[in-house]
Amino acid sequence: MTVASVLVVGGGPAGLAAAARLAESGVAVDLVELRPALGGAFHRRPIDGVAPWPVGREGAKRWARLTDDLRRPRIRIRLRTAFLGLDGSGAALLDDLAAGRVEALRPDAIVVATGAVERVRPRPGWELPGVSTAGGLQMAMKETGRIPEGRILLAGNGPLLVALAGQMIAADRPPVALVEAGDPIRHPIAGLGLLAHPRPLLEASGHVLRIFAGRLPWRRATTVERIEAVGTALAVTLRDRAGRAETIEVDRVALHDGLLSNDHGLPEVDDGAPGRPIVARAGDCREVLGVAAAEIDGHRAAEEVVARLAGAPGADAAAARRLAHERHAQQVLARVFAPARLPVPVERLPRETVLCRCEGRTVGDLVDLVDGADAPGGREIKLSGRFAMGLCQGRFCAHWVAEAAAGLRPDAPAPLSGDLTGRRWPARPVSVAAVVASALPPER
Amino acid sequence: MSAPTILWNGRPVPFRPGESIGTALGAAGVVAFGHDPAGRATRWFCGVGACQSCLVRVGDRLVEACLTPASDGLVVVSADREPEAAR
Ligand code: FES
Repeated sequence: MTVASVLVVGGGPAGLAAAARLAESGVAVDLVELRPALGGAFHRRPIDGVAPWPVGREGAKRWARLTDDLRRPRIRIRLRTAFLGLDGSGAALLDDLAAGRVEALRPDAIVVATGAVERVRPRPGWELPGVSTAGGLQMAMKETGRIPEGRILLAGNGPLLVALAGQMIAADRPPVALVEAGDPIRHPIAGLGLLAHPRPLLEASGHVLRIFAGRLPWRRATTVERIEAVGTALAVTLRDRAGRAETIEVDRVALHDGLLSNDHGLPEVDDGAPGRPIVARAGDCREVLGVAAAEIDGHRAAEEVVARLAGAPGADAAAARRLAHERHAQQVLARVFAPARLPVPVERLPRETVLCRCEGRTVGDLVDLVDGADAPGGREIKLSGRFAMGLCQGRFCAHWVAEAAAGLRPDAPAPLSGDLTGRRWPARPVSVAAVVASALPPER
Repeated sequence: MSAPTILWNGRPVPFRPGESIGTALGAAGVVAFGHDPAGRATRWFCGVGACQSCLVRVGDRLVEACLTPASDGLVVVSADREPEAAR
């Protein structure tokens, strides 16, 4: 009897949990990770000689557990390898970044665990050098153990910013200010829901205490209106709940407005066609529920795959219950962080605001395109407007373009973000050279 | 022993072993990475290989600065520069 083989895409907690559980069930696992090290975003590994960024006692235990479970036979780990997608014949294409060549695998099943990407609301100047996502800043900190030089402003919406501010204060390099569209401490009643979630509650209160003890300017119910380059610095204009504007000068701005599943260009969950592998998703790329849920969901996805390889349906009631609990925590956090100062709708931003960075498309370009006699659909916005067409494949713009188009044409059916991104592989840009150098058998 | 360096647009930039090109440039105060072939300013943004706005040129390939490990003597140029500019 041949051993079933499963490809796991992504070396974060969901992927690691899935790989370990699959191997335990006797399946041969190929685990691919884009980066030179496993870990994902939350458990990002530092470079040699640098202590890992503190992730709390729970976090440290989780990482120990995940890596311990990985020490099983039958798991082959390939680092610096990108999953490109499934080709027409059902083969999984992998781009070996170090060697610069594409390779095909024919697994019986695939578990996709590619995590989340950040939502960054467009504002004039968000595309400038010196502006990054808050998660991007955090990744640099976790990798190098250092916080970049200069005055840093954190701005946007959501609990990640509070955590990052707390971590920076703890490292003795507080940000200049934390600008938050919501007003989380004004929601004691909504916050009570967190009592059912002692772990995130404890973590959040630690960061909030640090913010107050460190006297960090925490501008709640405030938004970033625009960012301008002034010499090598950035002038950031804020607007508070009373409508007052204020400009502060900083060296770096880290923006964050929540998280989205990183599911662009991935194969659909199991289209059931013969000759094609079973496809399951796990962790934030299936539903953004955070790191604790990712581990649970990795195990769940592995069990689903094992059951389905044996021809059985794969539902796991216990995992579903635990995931529902994590979902509730996310819902409470979303209520607590609900924007108290509503951001300007994307379609009403200044015309020159960049919407789609890769292709340099602006709000004005979209208004002109959508304001014609016939409201264009998602595909038309993409093909004739060149929105969401660039290298990021719409990861950072498609949802805003869809929202703005819907706002501009309430009379027409709203375009879907998915229509803009398309659902076709490759999941990542791949160099022509890599395809040419590939060991792929000729197709058709 | 001197720290290993990459050659960034002809200038040596030190890095710590294991570091990416992107964090090495960041530590050296390089915030603007130049421009991509489409003419947009490039910079560190998402840090996870998702946004493609940190592209730089290594040899004849465009690579993500946030994903690509630095190595001693590695010649890296802005994405809009010709590969020859690297030599
Ligand atoms: S910073 Fe986004 S891909 Fe490198």
